[in-house]
Amino acid sequence: MEELKKIAPKLSKLKKEQPFGVPEKYFDDFSARLQHRLETEKQVPPQNQSSIIRFLKPALGLAASFALVFMLVYWPLKSFLPNYLAKTNTIETINEEDTYLIFVEKMDENSFFNLLQEPGTEEETIEGNFNDEELLSYLSLNVSDYEIYMQTEN
Amino acid sequence: MEAGDHELIMELKQENTRDLAFHRLVKQYEERLYWHIRKIVMNHEDTDDILQNTFIKVWKNIDNFREESSLFTWLYRIATNESITFLNSKKRRSLLPLNDVSDYLMENLAADPYFEGDKIQMKLQHAILQLPEKQRIVFNMKYFDEIKYEDMSVILNTSVGALKASYHHAAKKVEEFLKNSDW
Repeated sequence: MEELKKIAPKLSKLKKEQPFGVPEKYFDDFSARLQHRLETEKQVPPQNQSSIIRFLKPALGLAASFALVFMLVYWPLKSFLPNYLAKTNTIETINEEDTYLIFVEKMDENSFFNLLQEPGTEEETIEGNFNDEELLSYLSLNVSDYEIYMQTEN
Repeated sequence: MEAGDHELIMELKQENTRDLAFHRLVKQYEERLYWHIRKIVMNHEDTDDILQNTFIKVWKNIDNFREESSLFTWLYRIATNESITFLNSKKRRSLLPLNDVSDYLMENLAADPYFEGDKIQMKLQHAILQLPEKQRIVFNMKYFDEIKYEDMSVILNTSVGALKASYHHAAKKVEEFLKNSDW
């Protein structure tokens, strides 16, 4: 108080009166009103969900939706109409073959032969594997002795 | 700790005596807490809401109260925090700067049908509302309620030195306001 007189003489002279009022019988009724509100609060079930579950809830909901769609559409189709899915797969295979055939048909003749004669093709491999005996037997069948003689003389 | 507080806390923590003990606690502290809150938010209706919230928090958290501080400082701390939370929500809703709620409080004071003070009291309240929020709370607690700095330190989680300095500055500002006003 002494300190207040020094730093704020005008303020220290004022009467410390409570300038505010309350409605009539406010404090008499307060306890009963509080009790009523407490009863209401008690009836509200407590939220036991942990924060992790609350955080994951949207993602879990999305995953559950996908699972539900899978269960209701894909699984019944697979179980009750297996041919339908098989048909779909065959159509896809034919489509791939068609694409290849169209590609070959569109090729000109030279490109086609070049493709066949590219290194590593089956023809070259077979040619490279001829041995001497096979070569002799081939020549003896298709070329006469005279022709062989003439070739070696030249 | 006030006489009988320990016994009251024990009764509040026991299931079979809780309701009666809580009623006693409310009767014992309702007026003191009401005036503390009222001086922060000014308006009676707001004070009534905050006081109810304060006691409901006490009811829900009494098992966690470890008696490291007195029951009185624990209650004041909850009431103060509830009042500040209320004012912050008002600021957010009115898009006010975080340190400026004085206009809202001034309007509350001017429109308050339960204000019973005279012209000088009104002037004093105006002067107090010019103070920053924390300084205002410290000034009210010291000037009107005469709460010890040691208890205020526990309630506001601030050092005694900082509280003394805060009160000193607040008193000087109020004095200045009163000097400059015509009464």
